[in-house]
Amino acid sequence: MTAPTAAAPPRAQSASRGAIAIQSGALALVAAALALVAVTTASNLQLRGIPVGFEFLNDRSGFKIADTVIPFVPDHSYLRAILVAIANTLFLSALVCIAATVLGAALGVARLSTNPLVAALAAIWVEAVRNTPPLLLLIFLYAFWGQVMPAEAPREVAPGVLASIRGLAVPKLSLGLPPLALLAAVALSAGLYLTASLAARRAARAGRRAPYRSAALAAIGVAWLGAALAPGAGFELPLVEGDKIVGGARLTPEFATALFGLTVYTAGFVAEIVRSGIQSVPRGQWEAGRALGLRERQILRLVVAPQMLRVIIPPMTSQYINTVKNSTLAIAVGYSEFMTVMGTVINRTNHAIEGTLIIVLVYTAINLALSGVLNLYNRKVQLVGRA
Amino acid sequence: MTDAAVLPPRPAARSTRLVRGLFGSPLNVLLTLLVAWAVWSLAAPLLRWAVFDAVVLPANPAACRDVSGACWSFVAAKSGQILFGIYPIEERWRPMLVCAVLLALLGWSLRPAAWRPSLAIVWVVALPGVLMLMFGGFGGLSFVATTMWGGLPVTLILTVTAIGGAFPLAMLLALGRRSWLPAIRTLCVLFIELTRALPLLSILFIASIMLPLLLPEALLPDKFFRALIALLLFAAAYLAEVIRGGLQAMPRGQYEAAEALGLGYWRTQRHVILPQAIAIVIPSLTSTIIVMIKNTSLVMVVGLFDLISSGRAALADPEWSSPALETYAFIAAIYFALCFGFGRFAQALESRSKDSS
Repeated sequence: MTAPTAAAPPRAQSASRGAIAIQSGALALVAAALALVAVTTASNLQLRGIPVGFEFLNDRSGFKIADTVIPFVPDHSYLRAILVAIANTLFLSALVCIAATVLGAALGVARLSTNPLVAALAAIWVEAVRNTPPLLLLIFLYAFWGQVMPAEAPREVAPGVLASIRGLAVPKLSLGLPPLALLAAVALSAGLYLTASLAARRAARAGRRAPYRSAALAAIGVAWLGAALAPGAGFELPLVEGDKIVGGARLTPEFATALFGLTVYTAGFVAEIVRSGIQSVPRGQWEAGRALGLRERQILRLVVAPQMLRVIIPPMTSQYINTVKNSTLAIAVGYSEFMTVMGTVINRTNHAIEGTLIIVLVYTAINLALSGVLNLYNRKVQLVGRA
Repeated sequence: MTDAAVLPPRPAARSTRLVRGLFGSPLNVLLTLLVAWAVWSLAAPLLRWAVFDAVVLPANPAACRDVSGACWSFVAAKSGQILFGIYPIEERWRPMLVCAVLLALLGWSLRPAAWRPSLAIVWVVALPGVLMLMFGGFGGLSFVATTMWGGLPVTLILTVTAIGGAFPLAMLLALGRRSWLPAIRTLCVLFIELTRALPLLSILFIASIMLPLLLPEALLPDKFFRALIALLLFAAAYLAEVIRGGLQAMPRGQYEAAEALGLGYWRTQRHVILPQAIAIVIPSLTSTIIVMIKNTSLVMVVGLFDLISSGRAALADPEWSSPALETYAFIAAIYFALCFGFGRFAQALESRSKDSS
């Protein structure tokens, strides 16, 4: 059991008669079950007079979705409603992933702190979220919001953040750009940085040290800062006027509790992944780095971090995918994520089979896309140590 | 991280370490003060609400009027309803017994020493027995339909039955995924990956709307068993991947040794490979079971009365001022006790088996 030579079980002769019999038996069983299901479904549908087909997607939806990233009105089609819901799910999941990664990394480091107070606090957090259902956390937070937040005049709960029973108002960074231009600017920045880091790597391979990466970062930073300081742009703080909030970006209580609750929950799991990553690098690696005369920061960047990432990335991948799946829990506080809207669509149209197909396809596609991208990154990280 | 790297070579006395950790360096002094301040500013109002300003007894609605703190009286008065739902009060000993039996069964089965053929028989007898006790309708016990079941027994029955039923299926799926028969392998991979791609909530939802369409009326299970089937299939896919991890860790020599002894495929798996493979993955098995305990809370969404929804039902009583936070805190405490206790129990088992070997 100590030998790490994991091996596939030995192959028997694959064309033996028994093998063929077992496989055709299994296939026949599955086919029979599917046929039974198909026949009953057809008769059930006929009995209830439900038509089958995807034409309904173009019909007027006629319902409202409270809180959307993409604009939506009842005159829009069901198809648009579904796309809006997917955008909501992705938006919520992306924010949770980012926030939980930052928070979880800090928490993971805190658990290993030599300061017992810090370590104990982090441990309590991790154990609390690992041992209670996230659904309960969301429901609790939502009830908490309703009881604690002021009903009339908003209260400032953090610098620049106003809260009332109607929701949260946060500072908004507006650049005076239309959304498409903003997207293009983000893409341009990312492209510039990627080109620079490719050039830097080529230079490094040729034995030269070229600060392309820092130069690109500086240029991007200056450009964004300039855009933020340009007239008509900048931080817009929410302000109280009478008992109303003016300016800033608004979060509904539903979105705010879903975001906060899922972040707190996911961070507990990220913390454990980060902790195991840190602990997987033996102390000897630090000592060896020091013996070579490297500085602490160099050891962290060149020796320890690459080995840590190798351990951290695979479980983080499944944690991110879990986060997308967990975002369905927002249904409990009434945020219009994908499953909430699909429930409404199926209820209104009676197209259960088509709806189910859409649900399966959408989640499978998100899953495949996410794990595909993260696996590419993983391959890169894994090669660092073993090339 | 650099702190961890420069720890003293020999561990100092506990108290010295504690003092050094709290005040040993300027950074640690700062952290200690910062955390102490944060804890104090959060814990003080919390303690005031939960303990000092709270009321526990008498357990009636009048007690909670004019109280600024927590109204634990509600929890005290309604704990029976939260724990057992609308199950007839005079019959509550049945769900209580069921809960005890299920917890004992789960704990008992985790020990490798219990992995004998008799364990399967115990499960096969215990699970229907537990369901029959809940249903009643024989030997003088009154019949109680699943629509009356609620609270902790629902949570535990769903968890334990789903896991117990999923386990044999998961072993077959894991073996099938590593099989050299292409058709079997493809079927297993399809099932596992498709199930793992979907959130449990969508599987429960699909089971509740699709099964009435897919199955003839005579075969259609009620709401409770629909959710149970969904949970079982979901658990099987995840457990299969955990077991596959154990199978992959088996060195080739084990297969070769079994072959040299003249064992066939099934006897090799049963006597040589699976017992060792499962023993390796007990830690991940435990965390999967804990995740499943937490997951059962989702059946609320398809209208079953688990702990959370029976708590909500209790809150609907107009006599009380619906103390939601207290109720949810009570339910969270039950879940925490279950999951944390189970996790610690499994850890203790593991360290004991390590010591003895």
